[in-house]
Amino acid sequence: MATRMSPQDRIMYPVDWLEERSGLIGAVRYFLFRRVPSDTNWFQTLGSATLTAFLVQATTGVILAMYYKPDPQEAYPSIVNITNDVFAGWLVRGMHRWGASVFIILMFLHMGRVFLFGAYKYPRELNWIIGVLLLALGLAEGFTGYLLPWDQTSYWATTVGININGSAPFLGPFIAQFLQGGTYINADTLSRFYAIHMLLIPGAIFALIGLHLYLVIRLGVTSPPWSKHPAGSGPTEPPPPAPPRTGLTRPAPRGGTIRG
Amino acid sequence: MAEDRIVERKRVFAQYKQDVKERGKPFYPYAMFHDTVMSLVVVIVIVGLAAIWKFTTPGHHTGFGPHGSTDVPNQAGWLGKLYDQPADPGTISFVPRPDWYFYFLFQLLRIFKWPDSVILGTVGIPTICLVLLIALPFIDLRSERRPSRRPVAMVAAVLAVLSMGILTYRGATAKEALASEEVTHVPSWAATEKFTKNKEAVAGARLFAQLGCLNCHTYLGQGNHNLGAPDLSAEGAKNKGIAFQIAHLKCPQCVNPGSQMIPFADQPTKNLTALATFLEASKGGK
Repeated sequence: MATRMSPQDRIMYPVDWLEERSGLIGAVRYFLFRRVPSDTNWFQTLGSATLTAFLVQATTGVILAMYYKPDPQEAYPSIVNITNDVFAGWLVRGMHRWGASVFIILMFLHMGRVFLFGAYKYPRELNWIIGVLLLALGLAEGFTGYLLPWDQTSYWATTVGININGSAPFLGPFIAQFLQGGTYINADTLSRFYAIHMLLIPGAIFALIGLHLYLVIRLGVTSPPWSKHPAGSGPTEPPPPAPPRTGLTRPAPRGGTIRG
Repeated sequence: MAEDRIVERKRVFAQYKQDVKERGKPFYPYAMFHDTVMSLVVVIVIVGLAAIWKFTTPGHHTGFGPHGSTDVPNQAGWLGKLYDQPADPGTISFVPRPDWYFYFLFQLLRIFKWPDSVILGTVGIPTICLVLLIALPFIDLRSERRPSRRPVAMVAAVLAVLSMGILTYRGATAKEALASEEVTHVPSWAATEKFTKNKEAVAGARLFAQLGCLNCHTYLGQGNHNLGAPDLSAEGAKNKGIAFQIAHLKCPQCVNPGSQMIPFADQPTKNLTALATFLEASKGGK
C-alpha cells in the first residue's frame, strides 16, 4: 500500500494544491516576511496610503459606473439621481469626488518623502520614473473625470483644458481633436472621456502600480537618511571586545565587577 | 571616476541587503501595522469629506434612502455645490474653474497671455517640469542621501514647492473681471484704436463689453484667453465689411462652419450694426 497522508497534510491539502500549481503561497510568505530596515518609520506609509486611496477610487468608480450614463442628455440627471435617490449614492459619489483630491495629495506627499530620503537614487531610479508616470496618469484621471457630471463647471473647465491641449505644438491639435471627437465638446467627447477615465488610464495605473510594488519588494525600502545606522552602513556595533583580563597586574576598574 | 562610483554604489547596495538581512525587521507585523493604521486613516478622511460635502449642503438630509436631500444645485455647503447647473454650451457668462490641483495651470494661463506665449505657460513649463522630474535620478548621481549634505537638491525642492503653492493660491483667489469693470475700458480702447469720434463704434464697444464677449474673446489685452476664441483687437484690419460682421453675429456657424461661437440673433438690428461698426473700426491701433 502507498503511504497515507498524515491528518495535518490532509487539512493543508488545499493550500498545498494551490502552492504546487501557482507558487502563490510562497510569494505571499516572501512578501509578508521579507525584512525591511529596522528604522523604517511612519513617513514610509505614504506609499501604501496612496495605494489605499487608489483602491477607494477604483471601488467607488465601479459602483458609480453602474448608475452613471455617459450621454449628454442623461449624464446630468444620472448624477442627480446618484446624489439624491440611490441608496448611499451620495456617499459613494462623495468618496469618489474627494478621494480624487486625497489620492493626488498623497501622491505628492509620497513623492516628497522619496525625494527627502534620496530614495530615488541608485538602484531605484526606474521606480522613481514609474512614480512620475503614475502622478501624470493620476492628474489625467482628475482631468477626464471632471467632465463627467456634465454640469456648467465641468463643461467649461474641460473646454479650457482641451484648448490648452490644442495649443501644444505638433501633436496638440490632433490630441484636442481626438479628445473632443470633433471640433467642439459634444456627445462623443463625453463617451471618450468616460472610456479613457474608467478603462484606459485605470488599466495603465493598475499595471504601473504592480510594477512599482514589484520593484519596491525587489529592491527594498531605504532607511531614513538621518538614521544613526542606516541599512548599508555596515554592522551596527563593532565586534564585542575581548573581556579584559583582570588579576594581579591589571586591577578591575573601580566600581566594576570582577568577571571570570 | 564614473567607474569608481559604479563599483562603490554596488558595494553599498550589497551591504544594504546584508544589513537588512542581519538586523532588519520582518514586514509583517511591524511595517504592516503602520501601513494598516495609515490606510484606515485615509479611508476615514475620505468618508469624512464625503459626509461634510453632503451634510453641510442646505436642505433636508434624511439619511441614506431615496430623497436623502432636497438640495438645489445653487446651494453650496462647506465644500461647494453637490452639482452645478446642467452644462449649457450657449451660456456667455460662465467663468471656467478646474479642480484645485489644476489651479497652478490655470494661473499660468493668466500669466502667459493667449496666443503669443501661452504655449510656453501651459505646455512648455509643465513639459519641462515633467522631463526634469523623470531625469532627476540621472541628474543627481551622488549617493549621498542626508538632506543636510544635499543643499542644491533641498533648495530646488523648496523653490518647487513654493512656486506650486503660490501659483495654486493665486489661481484659487483670482477674480475674473466683471462686465461692469470692462465697460470702463471703452474710452481707452477708442483712443488706442482711434475711433473716439465714431459714435456708432463707441456704442458698439460698450455693447461688446456688456454682452460678455470678453468671456471668450480678448481685446487689447482684456478678456478671457482661456477658451481659444480669436483676439479681436485687429478684426477690422481684415476689412470683411459690416454686412459680414452682422451675418456672423447672427449665425456664426452659417458663415464660418465649425465655429463654437454662440449666435447673437436675438439682439436688435441697431445693436448688431453698432457691434459690427465697432469691430470694423478696430484696426489694431496702428
